[in-house]
Amino acid sequence: MSPTAGLRSARPEVAEPVTVAVIGTGAIGRDLVSKIDRSPALECRLVAGRNPESAGLRYAESLGYPTTAGGIEAVLAAPRPFDVVFDATSAASHRVHWPLLEPLGTLVIDLTPSKVGQMVAPTVTGVSPATGRNVNLISCGGQAAVPVVHALAARFPVSYFEVVSTVASTVAGRATRMNLDEYVATTGHAVTTFSGVTAVKAILNISPAVPPATFRTAVRARTVGADPVVVRAVVDQVAEQVRSFAPGYEVVSCTAVDDLVTITLRVTAHSDVLPPYAGNLDIINSAAVMVAEQYATRPDRMSRTGVAS
Amino acid sequence: MKQLVIHDPTLRDGQHAVRHQLGLTAIRRYAEAADAARIPVVEVGHGNGLGASSLQVGLAAASDDDMLSTVREALLHSRMGAFMLPGWGTSEDLRRAIGHGVDVFRIGVHATEASLAERHLGFLRDAGAEAHCVLMMSHMASAGELAEQAARAVGYGAQAVGIMDSAGHFLPADVTARIGAIVGAVDAVPVIFHGHNNLGMAVANSVAAADAGALIIDGCARGFGAGAGNTQLEVLVPVLERSGYATGIDLYGLLDAADLAERELMPAPPVTASMSIVSGLAGVFSGFKHRVVELSAAAGVDPRDVFFELGRRQTIAGQEDLIVDVVSELSSRKTGG
Repeated sequence: MSPTAGLRSARPEVAEPVTVAVIGTGAIGRDLVSKIDRSPALECRLVAGRNPESAGLRYAESLGYPTTAGGIEAVLAAPRPFDVVFDATSAASHRVHWPLLEPLGTLVIDLTPSKVGQMVAPTVTGVSPATGRNVNLISCGGQAAVPVVHALAARFPVSYFEVVSTVASTVAGRATRMNLDEYVATTGHAVTTFSGVTAVKAILNISPAVPPATFRTAVRARTVGADPVVVRAVVDQVAEQVRSFAPGYEVVSCTAVDDLVTITLRVTAHSDVLPPYAGNLDIINSAAVMVAEQYATRPDRMSRTGVAS
Repeated sequence: MKQLVIHDPTLRDGQHAVRHQLGLTAIRRYAEAADAARIPVVEVGHGNGLGASSLQVGLAAASDDDMLSTVREALLHSRMGAFMLPGWGTSEDLRRAIGHGVDVFRIGVHATEASLAERHLGFLRDAGAEAHCVLMMSHMASAGELAEQAARAVGYGAQAVGIMDSAGHFLPADVTARIGAIVGAVDAVPVIFHGHNNLGMAVANSVAAADAGALIIDGCARGFGAGAGNTQLEVLVPVLERSGYATGIDLYGLLDAADLAERELMPAPPVTASMSIVSGLAGVFSGFKHRVVELSAAAGVDPRDVFFELGRRQTIAGQEDLIVDVVSELSSRKTGG
């Protein structure tokens, strides 16, 4: 059904790896570095943070990558622009970073809910944005919900969508906490964009439970005439597709009663550095790394690199 | 006499008892009565606060805008309060509420997550509004941790900070220890206590809070609220006065407001029903009651088991979707399926 089905098997073989930099050394940045490390198509040339003592910088050093506490300025000062810059800071920082990065011709992959760039949810949009050099990964809840929302809206007359996500306190860093407003706005915007439904509500809970709660997203849809068996089949198919890049994505429950469809999704992280409950970080980072990997095979990348070198 | 400030969230927290279905006429009439009784702060809104109307916790009968403008018109003396949970409402909701003339905002966060309030407390201070921070489900944190979180909230700009006994789990000694620790940590701002009555302790706990140094105490008319209800306001006020605290509230006006609330806001005054006791013992947010009872009945499981399991999982307010999981697991365990 999706043009991007089987994404993982299509991992590109490239002669020259894409050079990448990561800005932000929180949990997202750290997991990104580990995923980049595993990717034959990506070569990490710089990990930039603000705090020289951060565990994220130490981790990148331990893998042998160049690091700096000089933040965005260090990225801009590189002798040759990076092909790809991952921005794993905050929505407010991204709005500052983007105008600085834009003239470089770099592909900027934004992990914050800034709403600046073109939104990508791999199984819905593909991973190759048609236009623009700023790709936005929406939010963790957006990555979990958008595939289901998109599929439901395509089959049923949905009048309202609600997306409630819960992430464990220990994997909600300061940027996430300061960005709750942007999370709510960007997730809601994505649900509307990919479903055409304007009545939408997005909610984020931060759970302090011990042991930590695995990332989950509940999707509710007001609709009429949804056969529970059909809904289940649709949702199972979506989940199968998402698992092509986020293997820990699963449907916990799926009901259609009266005019209400309720689907609960859970994402377990498959990561070298994240605990299993941090599926919120895993799903968004997996999608981001796929976008970069796909970029490695693009002809325009080769020509741009030629110009810039 | 030591002066206390009483906050009255009848028209906000009480909404949980009627699934957020209070109509504007009832809201206006109660606000007028509370104002006549000189209750210092009247809080209004969806039970989960600004922007929270949703399927997850219940759609409200009236919009935030309509509720705020209705109460604003009704209050001649009392200040108007509003509540917001970050991740549910946003700065945009706060901005609109300021436009409606809200005087006092409370940003609610889980007991261990004061940092979630940092941005919104800052936003309110920048906007010139009075900003409080309340730590919810406070039985899930120690006195020391609550004190530390409260101090952080003050660092973010909170002009008052305190705790909610969201599950109605506390006994007076628990409150004394926690309020005492917070008062010791944040001596520059008043400390808030908001009790629930699941174990019949709400008034006693509120007096314990005042004795331990809390200066802002919450109460609702007839105890209107989720589960067994909140601290019963018209009992709380005279008990505090007899204990040597001044509230500035007119007793007859207060009793009139409570009578009106019983007639016009609630199908019946809250009682300490079996399920509320279980909720309090299990340490589960009282607002889960309706959903637990309904889903348990449909699945043929004992709702008491569901409450204790939710408590074991440390479910917090807002995680209503977990009730479905727990009911379905208990149901399959029971049938061996």
